Amino acid sequence: MAEVQLVDVEKRYGEFLAVPKQSLTIEEGEFLVLLGPSGCGKTTTMRMIAGLEDITAGDLMIAGERANDKPPKDRDIAMVFQNYGLYPHMTVAENIGYPLKLRGMDRKSRDARVLETAQKVELDALLKRRPSELSGGQRQRVALARAIVRTPKIFLMDEPLSNLDAKLRVTMRAELKHLHHELGVTTVYVTHDQMEAMTLASRVAVMREGRIVQLDTPKKIYSEPADLFVAGFIGSPSMNLVEGRITGGRFEAPGVSLPVTAADRDGVVMGVRPEDLQLTTDGSAAVSGKLYALELTGDSTLVTLRDRTTSICARGPADFEAPIDAPCSLAPKPGVRIHLFDKTSGQRIDG
Amino acid sequence: MSKSVLWWVERALLLLISSIVLFPILWMFLTAFKRPRDAYSLSLDFSPTLSNFVTVFSDPWNLGDMVLNSVIVASVTVLIAVPCASLAAYSFSRFRVKGRKFLFFLILSTQFIPAVVIVLPFFLMFRTLGLLDTRIALIVVNLAIVTPFVIWMIKGFIDAIPTDSEEAALIDGASRLRVIRDIVLPMAAPGILTSSIFCFILTWNEFLFALILTRRDAVTLPVGLVSFRTERGDLWELMSAAGVMITVPIFIMALLIQKHFTRGMTAGAVK
Amino acid sequence: MQDRSLSYLLLVPAFLIVLATTLYPLAYSFVTAFREWDLTKQRRPGDFVGLDNFGYAFSEPGFQNSLWVTTIFVLTSVALTLVIAMSLALLLRRKGRMHTFTRVILILPFAMSPALIGVSYRFMFNPEFGVIAKGLGAIFPALAGVPWLASPDLAMGILVLTDVWHWAPYMTFMCLGGLASVPRETEEAARIDGASSLRIIFGIVLPQMKGVLLVIAVLKTIFALKMFDQVVTLTGGGPGTSTETLAFFIFNVGFKWYDMGYASALAWILTAIMMLISIWYVRMLLSERKMATA
Repeated sequence: MAEVQLVDVEKRYGEFLAVPKQSLTIEEGEFLVLLGPSGCGKTTTMRMIAGLEDITAGDLMIAGERANDKPPKDRDIAMVFQNYGLYPHMTVAENIGYPLKLRGMDRKSRDARVLETAQKVELDALLKRRPSELSGGQRQRVALARAIVRTPKIFLMDEPLSNLDAKLRVTMRAELKHLHHELGVTTVYVTHDQMEAMTLASRVAVMREGRIVQLDTPKKIYSEPADLFVAGFIGSPSMNLVEGRITGGRFEAPGVSLPVTAADRDGVVMGVRPEDLQLTTDGSAAVSGKLYALELTGDSTLVTLRDRTTSICARGPADFEAPIDAPCSLAPKPGVRIHLFDKTSGQRIDG
Repeated sequence: MSKSVLWWVERALLLLISSIVLFPILWMFLTAFKRPRDAYSLSLDFSPTLSNFVTVFSDPWNLGDMVLNSVIVASVTVLIAVPCASLAAYSFSRFRVKGRKFLFFLILSTQFIPAVVIVLPFFLMFRTLGLLDTRIALIVVNLAIVTPFVIWMIKGFIDAIPTDSEEAALIDGASRLRVIRDIVLPMAAPGILTSSIFCFILTWNEFLFALILTRRDAVTLPVGLVSFRTERGDLWELMSAAGVMITVPIFIMALLIQKHFTRGMTAGAVK
Repeated sequence: MQDRSLSYLLLVPAFLIVLATTLYPLAYSFVTAFREWDLTKQRRPGDFVGLDNFGYAFSEPGFQNSLWVTTIFVLTSVALTLVIAMSLALLLRRKGRMHTFTRVILILPFAMSPALIGVSYRFMFNPEFGVIAKGLGAIFPALAGVPWLASPDLAMGILVLTDVWHWAPYMTFMCLGGLASVPRETEEAARIDGASSLRIIFGIVLPQMKGVLLVIAVLKTIFALKMFDQVVTLTGGGPGTSTETLAFFIFNVGFKWYDMGYASALAWILTAIMMLISIWYVRMLLSERKMATA
C-alpha cells in the first residue's frame, strides 16, 4: 500500500502534447478511477505510473520516493490490461505464478500461493489450461489473479472489463469491488464507462483532452458537475442541457420557464437530470411541448418532449402512455437541483 | 445449369495450373530413376532403377561431398544469421529511437544491391587471404544476402505480436532481457522457424557465389549440376538424380511449414 | 532509460554482419571501378583511370547488347508474372479442396533451385529427346523440329518462361495476401446492386489492389534485373549473345576476362539502375498510401 503523487507531470510525443502539466495525489488505499472518452490521456497517465511510458517533465512519487527513472519491475506495481496481456505459451498456473518465479520464490511455496489465489477468483479447476482454451471472463480472472498473487503497493487496471459482455461486466465489477475491500491496496482504474466509475470509485478523476476537469467522489460528480462536459458525460440518460437566458429570476428558453436563484444574464445553459423531472397536468408547468418519443426501459418510461429547438427527456412511470405529438408538460420534482453553466466557458455558475 | 459449367471450367483450370507446376518436377523425378537409354526416350514404360543415385555418389562425381558442403554452408549461415537478425528485428520492432528508421532503411536497401557487386570484391579478398574454394568464404558471402532479408521477415512477425504480454511481464518484474527470453522468443518461435527455413532455402539454392568462389573442395549442389555437362554431352539422368537430391529436402521443409510459409512470403511486403 | 542502450546493443551483431558483408565490399568495388585492374596481368590493383571504365562501357557493343537483352527480359517477365499471378490469385481465393491443393502445389516452384529449373527446362526443350519439344511436335506438326534453344528469340522466350514459372506462384501468394485485405462488403454490395463478376473484378477489386500490385511489380523488376542462375544453366548466354543479361555479362567480364576494373564499373551501373527503381518505387508507394488514407 502506498500513496502515489504526480507533481506537475507532463507527457509529450515529439510536438504533440498528450497530457499537459498537472498534479494528482492518489491516497493510500483509495480506489481512484480515471474516467473520460477515448484519447483523453487517461491510459497515458496510467502507463506513466506503470513505467511503460517515459515522463517528459515533472515528478512521479510512489510511497514518497521519486520513481521517474525506475524500470517497471522495481516499482512494485501490478497491472491488469484491457486485452489481458496473458502469456499464451504458459498454462494458467504458470501465468499466475510468473511474478513469483521472477522474485525467486521456490516451486513449492509458489504452487501453494498460486492455488490459493486461483481459488479466490474461482480458477482452481482450470490451472492446467492455456489461455487460448479459456473464455473471455476466465482470461480476465487469470489476469486478475496474476495481479493479486503478490501483494503489490499499487494496482493499475486499464479498462479491464471492456472486452467482456454486459452481463459478465456487472458480475466482475462487484467482484473487483469486493477484492479491493478485502486487499485494501491503492488502485488506479481507467475506464470510459461512467457506470463502472460511479460504482467502483472512492474518487473519480474526469479527464478531457489530457486534463483532469473534476476530481471528486462519485456522489459529488453526479450531484455537482463542475462543468458542461462532466454534466453531459455522467448520468444515463444524460442530463438535459438547454440554452437560454435568465430574466427576472427565471430561466427562459423555448418551451421552458422555471425559477432559479441566480442573477439575470444571457448565455446560460440550464441542466436538469431526467430523473429529476416528473410529468404533470399543470398547464403553467416549467417545461411544455409535444410528445416526441416514448421508450419503455422496464422500471420506467423515458419521455422525450420537443418544442422548437428544445428537446427534453424525463423519466416517467412505467405505465405512462400517450399518443405521439400530444401536448405534454414536465416539472422539476420538489427539492431537486437545477444546474446552471456559463455557455462560453462551460463552467458552473450557481453556488 | 450455367453455374455447373463454370464450376467445371474452374476445376479444369486448377488442374491445368497444377499440371504446369508439377510436370517439370515430376519429369525430373522420373528421369532420375531411368536407365540412360530410357532417359533419352519419352517412354513411360521403364523399369525404375537406383543406379543413377549410386553413380552420382561415387567417383568421379562424389555428390556426397557436395551434399555435405551444402548442408554445412546452409546450416551455419542460418545459425549465425537468424539469432543476430532476431535481436535486431526485436529492436527495430519495439523501440522508437532516433536514427532507427534510417538504419532500417539502410539495411533493407542492401537487398537491392545485385549479388555480382558484392561477389567481385569478395573474390579478390578471398584470393588474397587464400580462402577461395572454402566453405567459410561461402558462408560469409551468403550472410550478406540473407541477413537483411531475415531481419525484415522476423520484424514482420514480431510486429504482429501484441505488446500487451511483454508489458505485463515488465510489470510482473521481469527485466527487458528476461522478457525477450521468457515471452518474446516463445511467442515469435513460429515466425523465427519460418524465417530460418526461408533462409536455409535461399542459401541451399544459392548459385552465383558458389559458382565464382568454389572450384573443387567447397562445391555445393546447384553448382555440382553444371559438372554433369561433359564432353560426352549432358548426362541428363545423372543431373536429374542430383536434382532430386537438391529438391527433396527443400520441398519437405517448405511443405512442413506450408501455412507459415505463405504468410512469411507476404510478411511486410504488402504492408 | 536502460532500454535505450539495450535497443542499440541488440542491433550490434546484425549491423556488424551487414557492415562486413555488404558495406565494406561495396566500398571496395566502388574504388575498383575507377581503376585499371586486369587480373591476368597484375596481382595488385592498378592505376586510377578516372571514369574510363564507365566511358568504355557505353562504347562497347557487349554492354549495349546486355542492356537491350536485360530490358526485354525484365519487361516481358514482369508483365507476364504480374498478369498470371493476379489471375491465379483471383481463381484461388475461393475455398475448396482443389483450391487448397493447388495452393500447396504452388509453394514448390519457389522452393526449387533456379539453377536446377534452368537445367530441367534445357532437358525438356532438347529437340532430340526433350519431352516438351517432342510433345509439342507430336501435337502440332508445324512445331516439329523447331530448334528451340538454338533460336535467339525462342531461347529468350524459354528463359522468360523459366523465370515466370519460378516467380509467378510466389507473387500469387502476395496477391492473395492483398486480396484478403480488400473488404468483402464492397464486393457484396456491388453484387447485390447487380454488377457482373468481370465488372466487380475490374471496377472494384483491381483498383483496391493497386498498392500491392505496385509492390509486386517493383520487387519482380529487381529480381529480374538480378536474374543470373538460369542464364548459366539454360542458355549459357546464347545462342550467340542473345540471352546475355547484364548480370551474366558482368560475370563474364569479371570471371572469364578477369577485367576487375571494368566489371566493377558495370556492377555499379547495375546497382545505380536498381537504386533508381527502388527510389521511384518508394515514391510511388508513398503517394499511393497518401491517396489511400485521404
